[in-house]
This record gives sequence, C-alpha cells and structure tokens, in this order.
Amino acid sequence: MSEYDRQESRNEDHGIEDSHSGLPAMPPMTDAESHIHDDQESRTLWGDAWRRLRKNRLSIIALVWLTIVVVSAISADLWVPKTLGDPRAIDSSTVMANQLKDSSFSHPLGTDDLGRDILGRLIYGARASLTVGIAAVAISVIIGLLLGALSGFYGGAVDSLIMRITDVFLAFPYILFCVLILAMLPSSARGIGPVIVSIGLLGWPSFARLFRSSVLSVKQNDYVDAGRAVGASDSRLMFRHIMPNAIAPIIVYATMSIGGTILTEAALSFLGLGVQPPEISWGRMINDGRNYLIGNHPGLVFWPGLAIILTVLAFTLLGDGLRDALDVKMKD
Amino acid sequence: MGDHLLEVTGLKMYFYTRDGVVKAVDGVSFVLDKGETLGVVGESGSGKSVTALTMMRLTPMPPGKVEAGDAKFKGRSLITMKEDEIRKIRGNEIAMIFQDPMTSLNPVYRIGRQIAEPLVIHKGMSKKDALLRAVELLRLVGIPNPEQRVKDYPHQFSGGMRQRAMIAMALACDPDVLIADEPTTALDVTIQAQIIELMQELQKRTGSAIIMITHDLGVVADMADRILVMYAGRPVEYGTTDEIFYKPMHPYTWGLMDSIPTHSLVEKSALNPIKGQPPSLIDVPSGCAFHPRCPYAQQRCTDEIPEYRIVEGTHGTACHFAGDPGFVRRLVENAGVKA
Repeated sequence: MSEYDRQESRNEDHGIEDSHSGLPAMPPMTDAESHIHDDQESRTLWGDAWRRLRKNRLSIIALVWLTIVVVSAISADLWVPKTLGDPRAIDSSTVMANQLKDSSFSHPLGTDDLGRDILGRLIYGARASLTVGIAAVAISVIIGLLLGALSGFYGGAVDSLIMRITDVFLAFPYILFCVLILAMLPSSARGIGPVIVSIGLLGWPSFARLFRSSVLSVKQNDYVDAGRAVGASDSRLMFRHIMPNAIAPIIVYATMSIGGTILTEAALSFLGLGVQPPEISWGRMINDGRNYLIGNHPGLVFWPGLAIILTVLAFTLLGDGLRDALDVKMKD
Repeated sequence: MGDHLLEVTGLKMYFYTRDGVVKAVDGVSFVLDKGETLGVVGESGSGKSVTALTMMRLTPMPPGKVEAGDAKFKGRSLITMKEDEIRKIRGNEIAMIFQDPMTSLNPVYRIGRQIAEPLVIHKGMSKKDALLRAVELLRLVGIPNPEQRVKDYPHQFSGGMRQRAMIAMALACDPDVLIADEPTTALDVTIQAQIIELMQELQKRTGSAIIMITHDLGVVADMADRILVMYAGRPVEYGTTDEIFYKPMHPYTWGLMDSIPTHSLVEKSALNPIKGQPPSLIDVPSGCAFHPRCPYAQQRCTDEIPEYRIVEGTHGTACHFAGDPGFVRRLVENAGVKA
C-alpha cells in the first residue's frame, strides 16, 4: 500500500465517522476514532517533514557530514591549535622541519609547503566556506523573498517592474560580475565580507522568481480568499497564509545554493580575489597548493578539493531530500 | 428604506477582460433583515457568488468594477467604504462560508488556530482565550471531542468536519450576516442534510441573517424566507419562498421547479431539464437573456430587455408577460402536461 493509498483510506475512515457523528447531540466516540486520533496527536507539519526526511538515507548521510563539518569548524579554536598546530602559522623556524610531510599520526593528512597541518587548515577553511555559503545565500534569500512576495502578491505594475529588474540581473554573467566587483577593490579590502556581499547581491534574482511563482500559485487557493473574508490584512495574508505555504521551494533551493555558493567562493579565492592569506578557505588552499600538484604532493590540492566536493554534494543531497520531505502532496 | 440590515440596490459588477466585458452581476437588488434567510438560486455562472463577493469586496478589482448600484449594510455603503473599514466588517459582522471545505482551510495551521483567527483579528483576544473559544465553537458545530480536535490539522478532518469547522470560524465573531456560498455542494448528500440542519439550528440560536447561495432549490425550500432567482447575472424573480414555490411567474423559475426530480414509487418519470446551456456572460443574448431557452419566447423577448417589476406585494419578476392571466394559464397547463 503506497503512502497515498493510506492517506485515502484514512480520509474514508473520517468520512464514515463523520456521517454518524451527527449534530449537536453526539454519539460517544468509538475506539476506532480515538485510535485514529491518538495516532496523529503529536503531529505537526515540521514533524511530518522530519519523519519523511529521516527515511531518506542519502539525506541523512549528507546531514551527518554537514554536522561534522559545522561542529568541527565551530569548535576549532578549542582543540585544533593544540593538537594539530597553528593552521595560519608562517613561522620560518618550523617551516623547514615540517614542510610537505606525508600523512602521519600527528598530521593525519600531512602538512603543506609551510609546514602547517592540512587537516587543521581544512577545518579552519570550512569556517570561511560555510560562512560565505550561508551568509551570501541568506542575503539572496532575504532580497529574493521580499521582491518575490511583492511581485507575486500585488501583481500588475509592481510585478512587471520587479520582474524586469530581475531579468536584467539574471542576464549578468554571475561569476564574471563577482570577479569584476572584487577586482575593483584594493587588495587590502579583499576578504570574506566583500565576497559575501557580492555573491549575495547577485544571487537573489532566482529566489525572487521562484518565490514569485510560488506565491502566485498559493494565492489561488481558497484559504487565501477565506483568510481575506475573515478580515485579514494584506500583510497578515502574506505572512500568515501565503508565506508558510510558499516557502518550501525556497528552503530547498537555498540549501542547494549554499553548495553552489561554496563553489563560487572557492573559485574566487582560487583566483586570489576572495579570502586573503593568512586567512584560510578551501579555494585558497587549492590556489596555494597548485604548484605541488604535479610533484609528489597532490594532497595539498586533493584534500581541500575533496572537502569542497563532499560538502557541495551534501548540500545538494540534503536539498533534494528536503524537497521530498516538504512536498505537501506526499504527506502520508 | 434605510432600516434594513442589508440592502442591495441595482448592483452591477462588470469584469473588463481581454475578450470583452463580462457582466457578471447586472442589476441585482434585494433586502435582508435581521434573522432572515435569503436564498439566491441560479445555474453555474448566473452571478450568485460574484454578487456575494462584490458585497464583501473580495472580487479582484481590476479587472472587476462596480458599474452601478450599492450595497448598504446598517446604512453604510460596503462598496465605497475604505479598505480598512470593510476589513473590520469581514469575518466580524458579515462572515462567509465557502463552497469547498477541502481547500478553504489553510493546510499549515491547526484547526483551532484558524477558528481563532477572526477572534484575534477583530476582538483583540489573546491566542489562548481565542483557542478556548475555538473549542466551544467546535463543540457548537458538533465536532466530537473538540478539546483534542482543535489541535488537528485540516488534513486530519473529513469534508463534513471541515465544513463544520468553516462554519465555526464564520460564527466566531457572532456575525449579523452569514453568507454561505454553496456550502453543501462539495459534500455527500447525507452530510449536506446535516450541514443544512446545523445552519438552521445555529441561526435559531444566534439570530444571524443568512444568505444561502445555491443551485439547489431543495436546499432553500426549507430554509429561506425570501428567494432571489438569478439568470445570466440578472435577477429574474424575487419574492417570499411561498410566492416563488407556489406562484412562480418567470418561465425560468418554472423550469427550475420542473427540473426537480420527483419521488414516485409507482411511476417512473423522466427528468425534465431546462433545454440548452446558460449563456456566456460576455455574449448575453439580446432582449431577455433567457429567450433562447424559453418555450414561450416571442419576438418581443428578443428585442426588449424585460424590466424587473413588482407584480404583487413584494413579489417581482423580469418577464414581459408576468401577471398576464393568459400567460399564467399556459405555464400551468404546460407544466401539467409534462407532469
């Protein structure tokens, strides 16, 4: 029996139950009824989504990986310098002794050309990559939600204006434009902040479009009219009735975009336009290690590359799982 | 005439679309007093729902435009009042029940919170108090175990229960007028009867006036004090329920009566539908909109739009021949032959 069938049959149960539950004088509830009810008591929409997500093994693996990355990045200051050494050190006295070591007990992934532990650098690099990914997407989402909501809710001239601006922004070559913005900055001003802002300011058009179409379709629903008919104001309709029903695709797309943004940040840092040394990001590490790729030390490029691939993949898989989990039509 | 609870005069709602002007409501008038029930009857697309939505100012404008007429509620015009004033009336003094309970509840909120919403908006109640009141309302509309049920989501309710919840939400603020837009159309027949009974019972208790929009004369026969029959956006007959049922004057009303299936155990009789299709509202037939389907139509019906006029007491119709004794005789004879 598929999920859908089960939903159908439960509806029928309710139908029967209702047809003899009659008017104000109520017959007592039957056992079957109270059972059906208990079964669903604790359910909330997010609870439902979480239960569906849990069934998706790939999403859970992705979630575990992301948790490891996030937790180690957040807690890095507490243990990394003590156990793996200072990942930002440019102390010439230790360079010679530790330079380009293969993996060992004290340096699980080996060391780089300046004698710094690669694992430690990866963990610190995760901070930059995740910060850029999340913050830039957050900026895009906020702008996109606002413009998409205005556009979809009010329609007409507002809609046309916003969508034309969106079209113009979508026509920009995204990475090239980031490169252009960042290249105009003096190198002293480069760093994580400008990367976040430039990616965030260029990423919103797809969110605006997506949310607009989502709002347009949710707006058609009778419950929005019903909400209006009980006297809800425009903002109440938008935030209470439409937004919660229209937000799911945004959550999914935002999750996937974090991966894409991490890639963009890596590309920008690789080009030397992103995070500046001694700060660390995965793209920066690949850039720093590229001279050793052909030699005997591919690990300098391989490990940050792998970290990028796994993390981007994890965000994509998680987004995929969220799409299924948040799909109301798949509600079991 | 300013002492009616709701008074609609010559209301016209036109939609300006790319394909032409849709005259969805074309000169509708009626009055509604406290505790009364008005039945609005007509086929799909006859402008019943748009009339109600226009009064609530819930039609999209543009493309819609109130071309003429007014709807006065307690002496104030619903058509010209400011948006925030009408918002205070919606759900508070005039509440609405929609046709399809399966789609009229927001799937992401618990039933209780939705029933509580008008109370929070209009009565300034705290969420907690409003929820307690929602439990009472659910009990009032006959939902078993309401303390538990307020915590349910709409998908855990069946169609009949959802419609009860919608009624509970509509009654939350003790409205003076309850507009029910085909509240039983989407429900099973057994549930339909329950919902109608429930509405009658609640009307007795709360004393609110009801506008019952339906395409089913049977639904309003029991309930309504007055009936408005609409065709192609125009009122064709308006009178008390007895007048409409016992002395119908318009051939369309006759047709509706005639098409009600009869219960007969001994004799099988074919259904007697009105022939043809309701007209497109963009391209309403000339003269009387009903003339292409009217078995009594004459040249005059094609040429002249019949004015709505009072024929007897409050009983009025828009037919050239209404009140003509010879015409009435023909209607009666014809119906007799068919039956």
